Amino acid sequence: MMDLKKLASELPNRYVEEARERGTKIIGYACLATPREVFDAGGFFPYRIRGMSVTRTELADAWLSRFNCGFCRSCLQLALEGAYDFFDGLVETNGCDHLRGMFENWQYAHPRDFFHYIRVPHLTNQDSMDWFVEELELLKEALEKHFEVSITEEDLLAAMSLQGDIADKLRRVYESRWGDEVRVSGGEILALMTLEGSAPAEDFSRLLDEVLAEYPSRPPLKYRARLMLGGSATDEIELVSELESVGGAVVADSFCFGGRIFRGEEPLDGPPLRRLAHRYLYNLMCPRMFDDYARRKAFIDDLIERSRPDGVVLFHNKFCDLHGVENVKLRMDLEKQGVPVLTLEKEYGAAADIGRLKTRVQAFLERLGK
Amino acid sequence: MAVLFGGIDVGSLTAQAVVLDNGDIAGSASIGVKPNPLDSARTVLMAVLEQTGLEPGDLHFTVSTGYGREQVQKEGLSQANISEITAHGKGAQWLLPSVRTVIDIGGQDAKVIRVNEKGDLEDFVMNDKCAAGTGRFLEVMARTLGVGLEELGPLSFQARNPLELSTRCSIYCETEVLHYLQRGADKADIAASVNRTMAERVMALVRRVGAQKEITMTGGVAKNVAVRKELERLLGIRLVEYRVDSQIVGALGAALVAREMGGGR
Repeated sequence: MMDLKKLASELPNRYVEEARERGTKIIGYACLATPREVFDAGGFFPYRIRGMSVTRTELADAWLSRFNCGFCRSCLQLALEGAYDFFDGLVETNGCDHLRGMFENWQYAHPRDFFHYIRVPHLTNQDSMDWFVEELELLKEALEKHFEVSITEEDLLAAMSLQGDIADKLRRVYESRWGDEVRVSGGEILALMTLEGSAPAEDFSRLLDEVLAEYPSRPPLKYRARLMLGGSATDEIELVSELESVGGAVVADSFCFGGRIFRGEEPLDGPPLRRLAHRYLYNLMCPRMFDDYARRKAFIDDLIERSRPDGVVLFHNKFCDLHGVENVKLRMDLEKQGVPVLTLEKEYGAAADIGRLKTRVQAFLERLGK
Repeated sequence: MAVLFGGIDVGSLTAQAVVLDNGDIAGSASIGVKPNPLDSARTVLMAVLEQTGLEPGDLHFTVSTGYGREQVQKEGLSQANISEITAHGKGAQWLLPSVRTVIDIGGQDAKVIRVNEKGDLEDFVMNDKCAAGTGRFLEVMARTLGVGLEELGPLSFQARNPLELSTRCSIYCETEVLHYLQRGADKADIAASVNRTMAERVMALVRRVGAQKEITMTGGVAKNVAVRKELERLLGIRLVEYRVDSQIVGALGAALVAREMGGGR
């Protein structure tokens, strides 16, 4: 397989260079509630913002507090350093308050030409659906007006169809670990998941074809125990690889750069934007959603049942209150079901933290008798 | 001829090695760590071999633990490595078969470990990235008070009016201790507050994992009699004691696992 981790380690990657040569506009987004099909349909390259495990955040700290999540501070740091200067625009959501702080300080201190805010409802009901459809219409109109493009229903349907194909392929790689033999590591899967947001749809689809053709011929990985990971937004590929180095094969995750990318089918009838709104809003497995713990728990239960981990490791970034609280409840509920759980609070991206985290994960494997 | 097994524990401040024959501890050594964990491992291993009159080749199987465990194995000084959490649980339960909870406080971390009747790990909790509640906290406080680390515990027992420290953070505590000293407070009263603060911090971990009797302490801080006393008061029970240096328990646990892996009894 091509070196997915290396490809994922570059911010302005080869896809960005190619897009710039073609004159394709690149729009930065961060939250999984952002329907990338709308950008795909308009001929844009939607690029998902990452923190790249950056830990020196002195520029960002002048705008955000040290009590903000490290992931958001790292993203802002990169933006202020100019690492994301290839963006033609930014699309913000109210994913969480830390994320909003990141976007709004970014736009204030280092503005991009286009900036749009999608107000994502916190509830899932008919009223919130109507609201979200309107929000997506506003996004489409804003893109059309600013960039002087037209996004038709046919464009949207074609983009949705392509994303459907991509999801099918990605799911095949992701779920390949659910048998006894694991041929793709958790670090590689996380790299692939980050590439999903940093390559245009057609390119990512081709990349998946290569992965699907290559991985079955690999020898199975040697592992002591199967692990599922969950928790805060993280793109820390090296962290996952380091944790796997003590003998745990990551077979599933509920990260937002991970298992949460998969969404159920959208309704097959109705206008494309309403179908998209339904698909995104009703499949947002994020603790920022109100009154929705049961659905998130069912999503995790389903992952556990199908991927058969020996234990679950739940992370949260320091100061990530949403996942900090959610992880306590999840740990208590999963342990009641007899699923061993390890919860870890960590600094985002801190290499110095790895030894401390590895000790705990190794002890967890030993606790599992592995 | 006895089959011998080795355990090497390279921690953040000290390193230990234990040689185990099939039935008992044949020898043990403890040193302050060197900048390179491999040097620490070699030195402490040589020390215990010298003490027991053995050669490196006499050890049938060796297991490393502690922060340097992977490097030690990579260099061939051990054949396997385990986490220090398992090592301390295993070692303490072997010393005291009735023990089910181990409070291990080392130089830079604190752990509460629950084990079963075989010494296998059932649950654990470890402090987050913070010096509060670790040996380093006591070191900083002893230095601020101008007393030796080993004096900090006994000094507490001379306290007449133990003071209150309003924070658990090592840095803020140091400032608060300096403030008390400038006001002319008695060192013994301050030492008592330092040891109590330490015990209270560790109790937060004990509550998280849920202690089960019997309970014992390992690691360097187990030597601080005042911290032990405060923990006993907070737990409402006596911590059980054992016959060896509390700092070698991790290396002992590693040697016991070496015996299991190496086919010993």
